[in-house]
Amino acid sequence: MAAERGLELVRELHRAAGGHLPPFRTEEMRQALEEMRALYERNQADVSEAKSGRTDLIFLIRFRHCCLLRNQRCLLAYLYDRLLRIRALRWEYGSVLPNTIQFHMSAEEVEWFNRYKKSLATYMRSVGGEEGLDLTQDIKPPKSLYIEVRCLKDHGEFEIDDGTTILLKKNSQHFLPRWKCEQLIRQGVLEHVLS
Amino acid sequence: MYQHTLFGAYINAIILLLLQRVLLLVASDVDALCACKILQALFQCDHVQYTLVPVAGWQELETAFLEHKDQFKYFVFINCGANVDLLEILQPEEDTFFFICDSHRPINVVNVYNDTQIKLLVKQDDDLDVPAYDDIFRDEEDEEEDSEDESDGSEPSEKRRRFEEVCCTGRKVTLQMWLFLHFRREILFDYEQYEYHGTSSAMVMFDLAWIMSKDLNDMLWWAIVGLTDQWVQDKITQMKYVTDIGILQRHVSRHNHRNEDEENSLSIDCMRIAFEYDLRLALYQHWSLYESLCNTSYTSASLKLWSVQGQKRLQEFLADMGLPLKQVKQKFNSMDVSLKENLREMIEESANKFGMKDLRVQTFSIHFGFKNKFSASDIVYATTSLMENIEKEDSETTNFIKALDSLSRGNLDKLHQGLDLAKKQLRAIQQTVASCICTNLVISQGPFLYCSLMEGTPDVKLFSKPVSLCLLSKYLLKSFVCSTKNKRCKLLPLVMAAPMDVEQGTVIMVGIPPEVESSDKKNFFGRAFEKAAESTNSRTLHNHFEMSIIELKTEDRSKFLDALISLLS
Repeated sequence: MAAERGLELVRELHRAAGGHLPPFRTEEMRQALEEMRALYERNQADVSEAKSGRTDLIFLIRFRHCCLLRNQRCLLAYLYDRLLRIRALRWEYGSVLPNTIQFHMSAEEVEWFNRYKKSLATYMRSVGGEEGLDLTQDIKPPKSLYIEVRCLKDHGEFEIDDGTTILLKKNSQHFLPRWKCEQLIRQGVLEHVLS
Repeated sequence: MYQHTLFGAYINAIILLLLQRVLLLVASDVDALCACKILQALFQCDHVQYTLVPVAGWQELETAFLEHKDQFKYFVFINCGANVDLLEILQPEEDTFFFICDSHRPINVVNVYNDTQIKLLVKQDDDLDVPAYDDIFRDEEDEEEDSEDESDGSEPSEKRRRFEEVCCTGRKVTLQMWLFLHFRREILFDYEQYEYHGTSSAMVMFDLAWIMSKDLNDMLWWAIVGLTDQWVQDKITQMKYVTDIGILQRHVSRHNHRNEDEENSLSIDCMRIAFEYDLRLALYQHWSLYESLCNTSYTSASLKLWSVQGQKRLQEFLADMGLPLKQVKQKFNSMDVSLKENLREMIEESANKFGMKDLRVQTFSIHFGFKNKFSASDIVYATTSLMENIEKEDSETTNFIKALDSLSRGNLDKLHQGLDLAKKQLRAIQQTVASCICTNLVISQGPFLYCSLMEGTPDVKLFSKPVSLCLLSKYLLKSFVCSTKNKRCKLLPLVMAAPMDVEQGTVIMVGIPPEVESSDKKNFFGRAFEKAAESTNSRTLHNHFEMSIIELKTEDRSKFLDALISLLS
């Protein structure tokens, strides 16, 4: 009644710390919206009754209105926080999200993500001269052009932009340009070795 | 051919201009690890992209080569590949280059005389004793009349390789050719009969860094550890060791002279290397003096610590120096400062009285910070035990990576872990040696001594690894020579066997040269094992880069030994 389901959704997001995106709770969302609709309808009925004399219903109407506002607040917070997390995913994972994460997003969120990607790409192309500037690279200032990385699991062949392939076997060490390895370091396949 | 002084310029030109990547294949011993660290530092300096693959034996080498041959044109082999015909085994493409930096000798003649694809990194004054070119290879003109049915357009080197095949086809051979082949066989036999070691690869790499003016104190330390590894594993003669120490001493004073100047001395946290005429006791600064005396092969063998009289003699030795037992059994760092002050001279004096003339040895030690002082041999023992760690069920490559990491100064926790493992290893070795001597497990088979470890022996799993088994054999031979009264047995070499894999029923066997004062450390067991295996059709595996280490099936062991005895008598 008092926006419990909405609160449940907010609590779930609060528990999922670290930018992790839990699955989109369509069912709970629907139930919360259902609750809001039920409250609104009852309010409608009571308002017309209150207009025709029964002033003691005003408090009840007020109460229901507050519940409605609380529900709205919870649901909006839920949706907005998810959008912020999805935005952060673009910066962390790049333009193609892993399947597991895409599975957690609703259709509208996917649509929003695509539009965000497009607008980010347009911006990046407009900055930095002819080719544009990839802002998602080198988020922290790099200390060196090339880094030493160690392979933590068997990843098979890895192809780089200039066509050369590197065979990533467990426990092999490689000395590669930084920008080629960043993706794999984030995914946990490679480990930066500091000597 | 030899490419030493030109290597730096060569690599720089090729790599930087063509932006090629290099594959490093590194063997599993401490010398190779140190050489690899120096080369990595040089490559990082010049932004040469490389990939490092650890290899433990020939099979891993071939697998790694096959996996990577499409992606790389330049291969560097560290402590592997010099003593076999690499081109024949690996069959590389025409435009691949092999750079070999290996301390194994003798270098295969094909590797020496190939001047297109194989480049050897050898020091100028390393004497290789390679037979003359004309004694082994025939030039093309002489071969033409005999190789009509060979395919046309084959490379000169291929023609040479097939030379022997020509004569086996049953054609008429001239007397000249027959004589040539006969002498060739003899020369090659003499050349390849004995296995030994040349200059440490780490020192060769350091030399390269010095020529390129990119040498650092860190690289110098790794070169020192590489040389000390050769000395600890008894791979080089005493004279060579002392000569190499002299060479490194000059570099050490060049890099570390600022410590002597009072005014301009460096901060205590900077790394400095110092020359020391230190005691030959293993890990004594990280252990107690008593434990170190008991677990170092030199003292344990000379004092015969496996017997009761030996223990008494140890007590006398300590009493002679005036060291109370309670102090000596404490951790070395907690010993009284007054006792530690003249410890080295005191021990040397008393040791002379007890027949231990070489208790002190020239070596180096490293300091950084207030707490961290390590001697070169400490690092060698720690790294070896990390590499052959059997405690966790990690793969060999994981252990290799751990050992490689422990050589960097930032990874002190790994180094301390290695030191603890090394203590366990040394204790296990000494206990096994004591039990072998007391139960007379070392028997003379005629031309050599033989000892076999049974399955249920404590710590036998530790000795399924080649380097640990070699260390055990050397310590065992030393102790045996001191314990036996038979004059003839003192001059015999030793063959040692230990169970390797219980499920597969394999045994690892190691052959070491005899323990003589002026030994030249030349080992003939490599070829002997090969011949014995051939003649008995035993199922053997020559996987290690050292030819004197072999794996075979337990069932074939007795016939293999019989063949070996008859071969060597």
